[in-house]
Amino acid sequence: MEHSITVAQALIIALWVALVESRALGYATLNLRFSPLMTGLVVGLVMGDVPTAMIATASIQLIYMGMIAPGGAMPSEPAVATAIAVPVAILGGLKPTEAIAVAVPVGLLGSYLYQFRFFLNTFITRLTDKYAAQLNDKGLNFSIIILPTIISFALFTPAMFIALYYGTPVIAKFTATLSGGRIFHILDVIGGGLAALGIALILQVIGKKKYLVFFLLAYFVSVMLQPLKINTVTFAIVGAIVAYLYILVTGEKTETN
Amino acid sequence: MDDKENTVKTDVTLADSPEKITDKDLRKSWFRWWYANEIPHSYDRMIAASLLWAITPILRKLYKKKEDLKEAYMRHTQFYNTQAVWGGGTILGITTSLEEARAKALAEGKGEAVSGDVINSTKVGLMGPLAGIGDAIDSGTVQYILIAIALPWAKGGSALGALFPWLMFVAVTYIYGFYFTKLGYKLGRSAATEIIGGKNIRKIIDGLSVLGLFMMGILASSYVKVSSSLKWTISGKEFVLQDIFNSILPGLLPLVTVLGVYWYFNKKGLKITQALLGLSIILGVLAGVGIL
Repeated sequence: MEHSITVAQALIIALWVALVESRALGYATLNLRFSPLMTGLVVGLVMGDVPTAMIATASIQLIYMGMIAPGGAMPSEPAVATAIAVPVAILGGLKPTEAIAVAVPVGLLGSYLYQFRFFLNTFITRLTDKYAAQLNDKGLNFSIIILPTIISFALFTPAMFIALYYGTPVIAKFTATLSGGRIFHILDVIGGGLAALGIALILQVIGKKKYLVFFLLAYFVSVMLQPLKINTVTFAIVGAIVAYLYILVTGEKTETN
Repeated sequence: MDDKENTVKTDVTLADSPEKITDKDLRKSWFRWWYANEIPHSYDRMIAASLLWAITPILRKLYKKKEDLKEAYMRHTQFYNTQAVWGGGTILGITTSLEEARAKALAEGKGEAVSGDVINSTKVGLMGPLAGIGDAIDSGTVQYILIAIALPWAKGGSALGALFPWLMFVAVTYIYGFYFTKLGYKLGRSAATEIIGGKNIRKIIDGLSVLGLFMMGILASSYVKVSSSLKWTISGKEFVLQDIFNSILPGLLPLVTVLGVYWYFNKKGLKITQALLGLSIILGVLAGVGIL
């Protein structure tokens, strides 16, 4: 298998990550930053293998369920992780759960880059103060929108390009030689089990212990009905009905009290 | 009401009185806030500059004296951080209504009726509680309900698995974010009580939480993969540990794993990196010795 990535491929993926991490598409970047799915799709399109990319990304998504970044900082950057792990999975022919082993450390490093962005923006604040005092709207366009965007692109594009162009072929080659052995059985198990972390986190985030019963209900219903291969849209409708009934019942209770 | 005011303020020239804030102004400011949102995020002021950038066109319509306008601009350079939709939308609307009240008061020469401090303390007072709700609902629940629906498509290799949750999330939050902006403008500060304590919004939040947890149960059952590979032979008969688990309760190991991590978060708080490392080590060791 050819373990290489072209300059153009590395550059496009790097620019995509810079677009997401600079938040230059407004609030539309929230989901792009928190969820690896769209980054996985872009990598798949660029590398010419959407199915493999989406399958690997679906596994990565599970460990990043429940990321909500209160106050703006997150312990990991799923988009950065995916941009490296999915090319490695494509180039090295890894199993999806094995791609997680690459994604996790990269995502942790990505969060430092993101915080460095806050640090650089702190200097621009002075400029914003100055333009605000002058009532200079053009200046504010520059200091609030244009300059932070340029700085984030300057930060993320080269970092991601170097990691992709020089890093991914090496990691892919290395992991491909290990694939199938004892170590990869271990990585496979860890990758499959870490999904529990994402789901436990989101149970905690949505909160309220008394609702945990709905998680258990769905879990066992789904386990029981597994042979029927019911799709998630159907389950979502059932879930919405359950939620509606719950609101109906509790609503009546408070009204009669 | 406007007519009454006009008859009172005979000494104020027309050029000094604030222009009317229209639906179009609110829509424009909501878009500007939605767009700037996290771009200028810094350590010392967080996303104050985003609200400043969002509200400048409104401030220009309201304050016709240069010193008043400058004071308003500078007011919004101060520390501010909240969630974009529940916090950001609502507070943008509330701030607009307070700025309008202040501009009217100033134009009538009664500037102290609504002080600048009131505007800032309202922003700072509301940003935390509303952000808490917004993070839990938008980022934590709505987003993951959409992802839960689309994940099987992604797992099947389809691009729709990525496009569906992204586009739906953007569209839905944009629409109700603008609704919150209008609600904030219309109700002023009581909009926050409406959102935090209002009966209908409370019901919607509870319903979304139930649906969110339900969808996580569905996901956990098919995507958390923990199974035992241990088998042994006693006097010619082969025992497979996973078969024994399956005969007791199918799906036992994944559920134990999820609830174990949940229990850890309950006890120790949301220490994600520690949980990640701890779980990796436990799973890794169990896999290494051949139990998993």
